[in-house]
Amino acid sequence: MTPRWQFWGAVILFFLVMGAALYFPSLRRQVDKAKNITEKTAAEARRELLPPAPLNSGDPRLKVKMFWGSHNQDGTLVPVVLELPLSPDPVLRAKQILNTLLAGPIDPEARTLPPDAALLAFYILPDGTGVADFSEGLATGIPSGIQSEQLAVDSITRTLQANVPQVQQLKILVHGQEVDTLAGHLDLTQTFQVSMKEAGSPTPSGVAIITAPLHKAIEKVKGATRK
Amino acid sequence: MPPSVGLNIVVLDPAHGGTDLGARGTEGIRESEVVLQFAEQAKRALEGQGFQVLLTRQSNDNPSFDDRSARVNAQRGAIFVSLHIASTGLSGTVRTYVMSDFAPAVEPAGLIPWDRAQAPFLTLSHKLGDLVQAEMSKRFRGSPPTAETAPIRQLRTTAAPAIAIEISSVVVPTRADLERMIPGVADALARGVAAFRPSYVVPGLPGSTAPGGQP
Repeated sequence: MTPRWQFWGAVILFFLVMGAALYFPSLRRQVDKAKNITEKTAAEARRELLPPAPLNSGDPRLKVKMFWGSHNQDGTLVPVVLELPLSPDPVLRAKQILNTLLAGPIDPEARTLPPDAALLAFYILPDGTGVADFSEGLATGIPSGIQSEQLAVDSITRTLQANVPQVQQLKILVHGQEVDTLAGHLDLTQTFQVSMKEAGSPTPSGVAIITAPLHKAIEKVKGATRK
Repeated sequence: MPPSVGLNIVVLDPAHGGTDLGARGTEGIRESEVVLQFAEQAKRALEGQGFQVLLTRQSNDNPSFDDRSARVNAQRGAIFVSLHIASTGLSGTVRTYVMSDFAPAVEPAGLIPWDRAQAPFLTLSHKLGDLVQAEMSKRFRGSPPTAETAPIRQLRTTAAPAIAIEISSVVVPTRADLERMIPGVADALARGVAAFRPSYVVPGLPGSTAPGGQP
C-alpha cells in the first residue's frame, strides 16, 4: 500500500471512530428510552387486564373512612370520611376501598401508598384472612424505612377494619408471591391483625370466600397473576 | 471463677449495605453509608460505658437478615441494635422500634424456632426500647417518649433483646444536619443501654431470670 493510500485510510478510519463516538451515546439513550417505555407499557397493560372493581353508581352510597397520612409528616394516620357507592359483597367492597386508598387523597403529600402500586387481586378466606395481592409498584415505589412501611400497612389495615368488618387479618402478597419484606424492613411473611375480633371466628353468611387454606390461596393468586 | 452473668455485649447492626443503599436523600445521602458512621460513633459511646461491641458489618457489604441475626444469636449476654435512617418523618427526630407481639413457639426438643427467635425476648426488648427512647426524647424534640412496635423482619430472628433505631431523615436540607445528630443519638443509645444493664441477666445461668424477664 502506498503512503498516499495509507494516509486516506487513516483519515477514513479517524472519521469512522469519531462518528461512532458521537453516535453510540445517542443510540444508548434511545435504547434506554425504549426499554423504559416497554416496562411502563407492560405494567400498564397488566393493570388494564385486571378487573378494576369499579365503583358502581347503582350501589348504595355509604360513608367510608379512609386512613391517609397526616399533613405534618409525623408518621400518623388521619381518617378521611368519603361517601362512595359500595358493593354489599365484602370482596368487591374491599377491592373498591383499596383502589380508593391507592388512588390517594387530594393532597399528594398525605399519600401512604405509591402512585404506581395497583391491587391485582383480593380474596377472603374462611377464617377471615384477607389476601391482598399488589403489583411490584408497592414494594419498589414505597420510601424505604420502618416508619414509611409501617404507615403504608397501617393505612391498609385500618381502612379495611373501618369498612370491611369481615376481614380480620391481612396477608399481603407482591405480584402473587410471598415476599420477605415490603421494602427492606417490614415483615410480610406474617399476617397483619385487622379486626380486634378473635381470628378464626365463623365467617358471616353470604360472604364470598375461598374454601382453601392460605397456602392454596397464595398458589391461586400466583396462577391468576401469571395469566 | 463463676461465669459472667449479665449484659456485656452489644451487637450493632448498620442496616443495608452493598447494592442495597437503603433510603436515599439530599446531597447524595445514602442510608447504607450514614449508618456506618453512626455505628462507629455508637461503638465508641458504648465502649465508654464498658460494653464489648460487635458489628454485623464494617464495610460496604450486605449480610443477609439471618447472617446478621446469627452474629448476636451466637453470643451470651448480648443485645442487638439495628441502625437505620428513615426516608420520612420530622427531621431531627428519632424513633426506637421493638418487634410487635407474636406468639412464642417451642419445638418438641425444646428449641426455639429460628423464625420466631425474638418471641421469648419481647418483654426485655420492650424494656430496652423504652429506656433508649426515653434518652432519645430528652435530646431530640418531637421524638416519641416511648418505643414503638412494628413487625420488623430483622428483629424476628434475633434471640436476644433487640431494638431498631431510626433517625429522620435522609431528606434534610444538608448532610451536615444529619451528621450533627449522630453523636447525640450514639450517646443516648449508650446511656439507654447502660440503664438497661441491671434488668438483663443471662437466661439459663444459676440465679438468672428467664427470657422475657420472668423469674
